[in-house]
Amino acid sequence: MSTRKPVFNQKVLYDTTPLPDSIPKVKELGASSAPLLSASFFIGARCGAYNDDFMQCKTDNPGKGEFDCLKEGRRVTRCARSVIEDINKSCLEQFRKHWECLDNNNQQLWQCRPAEWKLNKCVFENLKLEKVIPDQPKNSTPVHLRQKQIYSHHTIPPNAEPFIAPKSAAAPTS
Amino acid sequence: MPQDMPPAGGYDPVQFKRNLPSSRFRPGTLLAIGGTIMVYGWWRLIIGIREQNELGREKMWSRIHLIPALQAEEDRDLVRRHLADQAREKALLGENIKVYNSDRYVRPTYAVTPGYTTK
Repeated sequence: MSTRKPVFNQKVLYDTTPLPDSIPKVKELGASSAPLLSASFFIGARCGAYNDDFMQCKTDNPGKGEFDCLKEGRRVTRCARSVIEDINKSCLEQFRKHWECLDNNNQQLWQCRPAEWKLNKCVFENLKLEKVIPDQPKNSTPVHLRQKQIYSHHTIPPNAEPFIAPKSAAAPTS
Repeated sequence: MPQDMPPAGGYDPVQFKRNLPSSRFRPGTLLAIGGTIMVYGWWRLIIGIREQNELGREKMWSRIHLIPALQAEEDRDLVRRHLADQAREKALLGENIKVYNSDRYVRPTYAVTPGYTTK
């Protein structure tokens, strides 16, 4: 994030040599930070297995993971890209509203709950992906479903309903 | 000369007692009021801290879900640059010199910026 060193500053360090043909090509994500943040939990929901696989490979190959985990990395990118593409296909309007809200609010998720609930609803109905935050305490409402928030600049309008996926309606914390 | 003597009938009584008005609340009441305010403040603070923790957890998990994708992209870029460097070195020097006494990949400290780039 902000501490990241601009080691390969693309403005200075040009190197346009493509990867050799022995390494398969993959289309990069091509999304900026706000859309990625907006879609992150859906990426996690669909691509969790690939992500874990990739990180496991990186852990198992310290110092060589850059080369040995290219295959897993391609899978991760392909999967994340498929999520973004699917959201673009079926929920473009809500998606755009949400990430533009994030962009306008310093990328603070809690400022954009109404837009987020609409996006979650659309994504669950079309892609069957659900936003779940792991390890939350069981005795309180999950933080992304609260209608009263302390740190938000705007109060949530009363007509905005938090979206709780139907199957987990009985136990919202699960 | 005769010695100074007290006035006839003695001095007036010295006022040593202060006649301040008594405070509005008894100390116990004041303590109770202060305590109530403080308990309320702590209660709100704890609620706020807990909400902040949850928001932090949400942010962390969104990042955790994104890191593999970002890292994969970065790794591919590093590999691409590394292989290009190696090929360039081979073309210029005829062989690849092993700089480090280990097989680990080392992020390059210096980078060659080609004089001309193909776009």
